[in-house]
Amino acid sequence: MATTKVPEVRDITRIERIGAHSHIRGLGLDDALEPRQVSQGMVGQLASRRAAGVILEMIKDGHIAGRAVLIAGQPGTGKTAIAMGIAQSLGPDTPFTALAGSEIFSLEMSKTEALSQAFRKAIGVRIKEETEIIEGEVVEIQIDRPATGTGAKVGKLTLKTTEMETIYDLGNKMIDSLSKEKVQAGDVITIDKATGKITKLGRSFTRARDYDAMGAQTQFVQCPEGELQKRKEVVHTVSLHEIDVINSRTQGFLALFSGDTGEIKSEVREQINAKVCEWREEGKAEIIPGVLFIDEVHMLDMECFSFLNRALESDLSPVLIMATNRGITRIRGTNYQSPHGIPIDLLDRLLIIATSPYTEKETRQILKIRCEEEDVELSEEAHTVLTRIGMETSLRYAIQLISTAGLVCRKRKGTEVQVDDIKRVYSLFLDEARSSQYMKEYQDSFLFNETQTASMDTS
Amino acid sequence: MESGSQRVLMYLTEIEEAAEDVLTAKQQIVDLDSKRNRNREALNALKTEMADTEKVKVCFGKMFIRFPKSKTKEMIQKDQEQLDREINDLRKGLKAKVNRLNEMQGKPELRGYNLSPLSADEVKAINSLLKR
Repeated sequence: MATTKVPEVRDITRIERIGAHSHIRGLGLDDALEPRQVSQGMVGQLASRRAAGVILEMIKDGHIAGRAVLIAGQPGTGKTAIAMGIAQSLGPDTPFTALAGSEIFSLEMSKTEALSQAFRKAIGVRIKEETEIIEGEVVEIQIDRPATGTGAKVGKLTLKTTEMETIYDLGNKMIDSLSKEKVQAGDVITIDKATGKITKLGRSFTRARDYDAMGAQTQFVQCPEGELQKRKEVVHTVSLHEIDVINSRTQGFLALFSGDTGEIKSEVREQINAKVCEWREEGKAEIIPGVLFIDEVHMLDMECFSFLNRALESDLSPVLIMATNRGITRIRGTNYQSPHGIPIDLLDRLLIIATSPYTEKETRQILKIRCEEEDVELSEEAHTVLTRIGMETSLRYAIQLISTAGLVCRKRKGTEVQVDDIKRVYSLFLDEARSSQYMKEYQDSFLFNETQTASMDTS
Repeated sequence: MESGSQRVLMYLTEIEEAAEDVLTAKQQIVDLDSKRNRNREALNALKTEMADTEKVKVCFGKMFIRFPKSKTKEMIQKDQEQLDREINDLRKGLKAKVNRLNEMQGKPELRGYNLSPLSADEVKAINSLLKR
């Protein structure tokens, strides 16, 4: 037993930051997979949401693995939102890994290594652990210390459940760990039979007194029911990548925490695949194919695409969801033009979901949802103005204006954002169109100005 | 109409029976465990408090009989093994019963329920992952 004292964990309220898609709670479908107009943070995009819903059901049933889906559409039409919606509706038990296309380019790791790590993060393995525990409420502890101060201590521990009560004889080691955990009569404890580890669950309700002077951490629990010696079964879900990491620890176990795992040898992966398959045969493990989401997939180059082609055919393969906002463009790393910047042979394997631009009504709804999410109150006129801005510039720009206008409003100690606040931030921050307009007017006064290159290189 | 209510009644009876089955098995495990614990206490007492006596009084039903200590110990230990086996069998059966009940009630099957557990070595190897 280590003698270092574990610092007590204090409860802190988790502060959730507000992300661009933090209002998404699911795909907003009813039981018949019909999309509701506004639900779970999703607005509009009915056809693509229904399509995503069908795919979601197939993933849940485990029917599809090694398939790929492409979500394609203009910028700001909810591609990432749909992917987030799928992730949210899958629940915590199905692994969902998201990465951006440019994330795989790193000096420390080859592109294919980064991709295969992402693939393996998206495959879960469900395993079960079984332990025999003794669980009960402490009725009495009696410890006899020898008068000389040294020598073996002996003791007795009486435990009970609602059904029975029994006395255990205690050895020296158990007495030590009991006093270390500060176990006293009235505590509800569990003892792991194999290791002898004692865990305090809390104090029994029957011993609760309102005038007791006790810490705020004291938890009251019911006296356990049933038998004293129970069998506890815990089901864990771990990803294949995590198993890879602990098995390829050349740099010691710290690798798991620092996140810098380096490259994992393919032999290690093969061994683990073999072991997991063995477990599956023995009924010790279930494999849950999860979802790998690659945003901005046009950032991948030719090598990555051919790797994806190959990886999708492996029998341990997750469902791959990709999103792109490109039309017909060059495939990165080549001179070939292709739809969405994805080679035709990969495109052939994909199910493609298209998203379309939002209508004015939908934009209005989305802005309303975002206002609630960011805790900003908007007056009716300001809402209309903001919707117009959203339609004329872009939805993202309008969403940015919400929090900035909220700040301006708070500065003048108002409670509701008015049209003037919107006007003010609209004049303070330029949208993309006005910014390029400004550039055109004053381009001569900027440094390193090249008037010749009219269009930006989009690859 | 009559046949409909008949069918509902049949269905409910079946569910009740299945639930009763589960409860009986649970109660039986509790009873056996309490017996096991009493046996364990007896073994401990034989080892510590009765260390110097040759023969002990053992209660058989309504009668106390003086019995050699080693024989008694052997007897109780055998009983313990038997109890362990019985509890194990009951627990195995309990799973099937709970599953049947869930199925009848239209509840989803529990996830990872039918997995067999990892061995102790394997758990140890993977422990650093599990105890995050």
